[in-house]
Amino acid sequence: MNISRRFFMKTSAVAVGGAVTAKAGTAKAESRNRAPADPFGCLVDLTQCVGCRKCEQACNEVNHLPEPKVAFDDTRVLDCKRRPDQNAFTVINRYYPGKKDEQNRLVPTYAKIQCMHCQDPACVSACIVGALTKQENGAVIYDKSKCIGCRYCMVACPFGIPAYEYDQPFTPEVRKCTYCFERISEEGGKPGCASVCPVEAITFGKRDTVLALAKGKIKKDPGRYINKVYGEEEVGGTSWMYISEHPFEKLGFLSLPKKPLPTLPETIQHTIFKFLWAPVTLFAALAGGMWVFNRKQMTGEDISEERGADNE
Amino acid sequence: MRTLFKPLLIISASLILIAGGLFFINYDAGSTLSQAFAAAPEKAPTKVPTPPKPPEKVNPDGTPWSPAAQVAAMERAKEVPPFIKNVKDETAWERKQRLGDDAPTLKDQDHAYVVLNSPIVNKDQDMYEPVRFMHKKHAAVTGDCLKCHHASADEPGAAETAKCSACHQEAFNPEFPERPGLKAAYHRQCMTCHEEQEKGPLGCTDCHGKNVPDHSKLVKLPKNPSPTQVTTECLRCHEDQGEDMLKSAHWLWKGPSPYTVDGEKRVDSGKATNTINNFCIALPSNWPRCTSCHAGYGWKDETFDFTDKSRIDCLICHDTTDTYAKVPTDAGMPYPQLDLVKIAEHVGKPSRKTCGDCHFQGGGGDAVKHGDMNAILYYPTRSCDVHMGDLDFQCHDCHKTRNHKISGRSLSLPVAEGARSCEDCHTSQPHHGNDLLDHHLNRHGEHIACMTCHSPVYAKCKPTKTWWDWSEAGDKKRKVNKDKYGMPDYFWKKGEFLWDESVQPTYAWYNGTVERYLIGDEIDDDGVTEITRPVGGIKDSKSRIAPFKIMAGKQPVDKNNKTLLTPNLFGPKGYWKNVDWDQAFKVGAEAAGIEYSGEYDWEETKMYWSLNHEVTPKEMALSCVQCHESLTQERSCDRCHQDKRDVDFKALSYKGVDFKTMAARGRDTLDLVEKTDYINFKALGYKGDPIIYGGRFKQLPLGWHKDGKEEK
Repeated sequence: MNISRRFFMKTSAVAVGGAVTAKAGTAKAESRNRAPADPFGCLVDLTQCVGCRKCEQACNEVNHLPEPKVAFDDTRVLDCKRRPDQNAFTVINRYYPGKKDEQNRLVPTYAKIQCMHCQDPACVSACIVGALTKQENGAVIYDKSKCIGCRYCMVACPFGIPAYEYDQPFTPEVRKCTYCFERISEEGGKPGCASVCPVEAITFGKRDTVLALAKGKIKKDPGRYINKVYGEEEVGGTSWMYISEHPFEKLGFLSLPKKPLPTLPETIQHTIFKFLWAPVTLFAALAGGMWVFNRKQMTGEDISEERGADNE
Repeated sequence: MRTLFKPLLIISASLILIAGGLFFINYDAGSTLSQAFAAAPEKAPTKVPTPPKPPEKVNPDGTPWSPAAQVAAMERAKEVPPFIKNVKDETAWERKQRLGDDAPTLKDQDHAYVVLNSPIVNKDQDMYEPVRFMHKKHAAVTGDCLKCHHASADEPGAAETAKCSACHQEAFNPEFPERPGLKAAYHRQCMTCHEEQEKGPLGCTDCHGKNVPDHSKLVKLPKNPSPTQVTTECLRCHEDQGEDMLKSAHWLWKGPSPYTVDGEKRVDSGKATNTINNFCIALPSNWPRCTSCHAGYGWKDETFDFTDKSRIDCLICHDTTDTYAKVPTDAGMPYPQLDLVKIAEHVGKPSRKTCGDCHFQGGGGDAVKHGDMNAILYYPTRSCDVHMGDLDFQCHDCHKTRNHKISGRSLSLPVAEGARSCEDCHTSQPHHGNDLLDHHLNRHGEHIACMTCHSPVYAKCKPTKTWWDWSEAGDKKRKVNKDKYGMPDYFWKKGEFLWDESVQPTYAWYNGTVERYLIGDEIDDDGVTEITRPVGGIKDSKSRIAPFKIMAGKQPVDKNNKTLLTPNLFGPKGYWKNVDWDQAFKVGAEAAGIEYSGEYDWEETKMYWSLNHEVTPKEMALSCVQCHESLTQERSCDRCHQDKRDVDFKALSYKGVDFKTMAARGRDTLDLVEKTDYINFKALGYKGDPIIYGGRFKQLPLGWHKDGKEEK
């Protein structure tokens, strides 16, 4: 009889919990998407980029970054693969995907790297103090006054973008492309890199507009582009998108899932804490345990008496 | 009270007086003493030289100078035409079909010269200087206006072509996201085509120079810095440029001589080592005077350290205040009273002023050496030089510079750091009207250098020295006469001179290489020693007829060694101080590393100087009849072509420079009026006018004298 009661308690708790989880899970997945309604977007046309590094220079100037070790007009740095860091929010790398020209020379393709400003950013999700936020205009920006320096964002970012000022022992910040948040917040403002680009390899506009432009370009000239807009769906879509002549894997781009990365961890976490069911269940279980234990103690006296009698 | 006050007053007054007097005495004595000590050992109080005034920006008639074509083009560049929203949706082929013979051609072009400097492009960033764009040249080379003007407005009555900025304006227009902004339109169009054609510039600074940042905040100098302090401050950021400069010809005054016959592999020829001329003759032993034009400080003898970067004179080339100047006799040191801080804070690109300060003044004064360069070119009129006067060309617009190596070559000096030619911009088919005359003129380009026709006279605006006889020097009492140009015919330090203005050049075959007399070579005993001579000949297909200034004169030779001597002119042992040739030759020979036997003589020498500047406007080039006398007898083209009545033969063949008008404007050209056979075909090896006698390689069936013999 005891066992059957316990079994009933257990199964009923699991059933209730399961029901709650299932309901909370679906409800959360819909409400937790951070993608703003009409954000800005940038389209990088890799067939246009000439690798002049003017975007790097403009980025340096508008963000007041320290002077680089190698001058911006020195394109020799393109020979080794670089990553954005705390002092350079965007860099260009040169790839040779294998295409050759009439003189049998390899034709380079240049790929610009910066924060992709994901529609549903993993860094924002990972930040435990809300120092990183996704803005209505698409920018993922950083509030240094909130940051505690845990660097979870750096671990979370699928593109490995946020960089930490390890060289600043007292006031380290997480640094990354700001999407020129202040500039684009103004009427007609453009990101520094996009406005300086001599060949307009970067097109800046509303995300929907530039996405349509990207698709239009591919449709108009299918021989020039592969049929993919990188960033359209990657990790739930990014504000920065790319079109290219060559497969993106050959240009240093990662193959990433279409689902926003925060979906799974946030679902699990949010599920656990929905309606406080987990603590409630926990305390209920504990209370139940206590009740069972107390009851056992009460009846225990009789048992010991019986035992004593037996021993005697 | 009063009695007490009075002595007090007296005492205090006397104290003040004594103190004042002491101060005065101290001050006076101190200053005179220090002056006396400073001045005593060197020279008695000499007049402190004052720097020359910057050239005035005015025309000869006093009106403000303005490069008309450039100003007009800059004005046009500012215009923003109304935006064309809709363009016809058609392919290039469909468009061609639609237009047929109505397609725009070269003749429909409004402006041959365009400056690309739209405010649309410069709105966000203004990092680069305007682009000079040869609109007509591009139209002629591509042969198709529609290649660049790739779409037309879809409005009734709209022109078939429009300015780039009519369709392409601000970038990222949300209404037309697929339409690139103006900056991208320019870059994509230009670079794609240049890449495809493998012609034309591709690098950023090949089309537009970088804007120089404001240095006033960057330069950190103490008050009254020394010149080397300024250089050290420059090098703080421009270390690499300093390294480059140490390897440049402007620093070393020697270098590779790829165009000198037998000097192709040498890297040591130059003013600093072995070149000589028939002006002031040679550098060795005369350093402090000659090196006042050196881009460095303190090259006063052979011990100068050419590896010391702090001795580079950055300001002589990069001053933009027009105030920097060097003392003519102080081994390249600037005038001490100059405000070097201000000059250093305003550094920028070289200009006609900075280059001209040395290159216009060669040979000891304005216009002395070069027949085609003088102070007029600081601010020339259009007819003096069409590039500088009309389009405001600076020297580096043609003399492209990399790593502080400045391209261009001359006849007078062996060092060359890259060559420039008219064809680099104007192509080998420079006459692009595509009509009868242009065709003939382009054919001339195979045999005639551009300057032969496009610079009919040299020293056009200012007389240049053409004769210098050193043997007459030394007569301090001789009366100095002024010639018809107001130029002196004698100076006791230098000898006898002749000057000439608006001179007809001497023409010679020239394949780009030069035969050169170098210090220590033996002179030509039979006649005139040619210090420089262009190489070429009528049967050498690489040679073209080019114009030259001939500089002739008499200069000292060693009677026994048969070498040209290098006198020491300047300095304590120099001729100008002691009027002693023997000592001057001895000191000079030692410095130059040649032998001086003790006996000297005077020999006539000759130098060819190339003429590449003072390019006249096209309407002032030589006309056909000025060289081809035979054409004066013709009435139409029917000697060679079927008669075409609609061609105005006279107008075509007589179109060109009018020496009468030039003379009326005050130029010395009366002797050239109605001159035919201008370039003297017989002297160049032809039998006569090639129209009659045939060209140098082809005997064209041109009528009367097929066999080249004159019919009687």
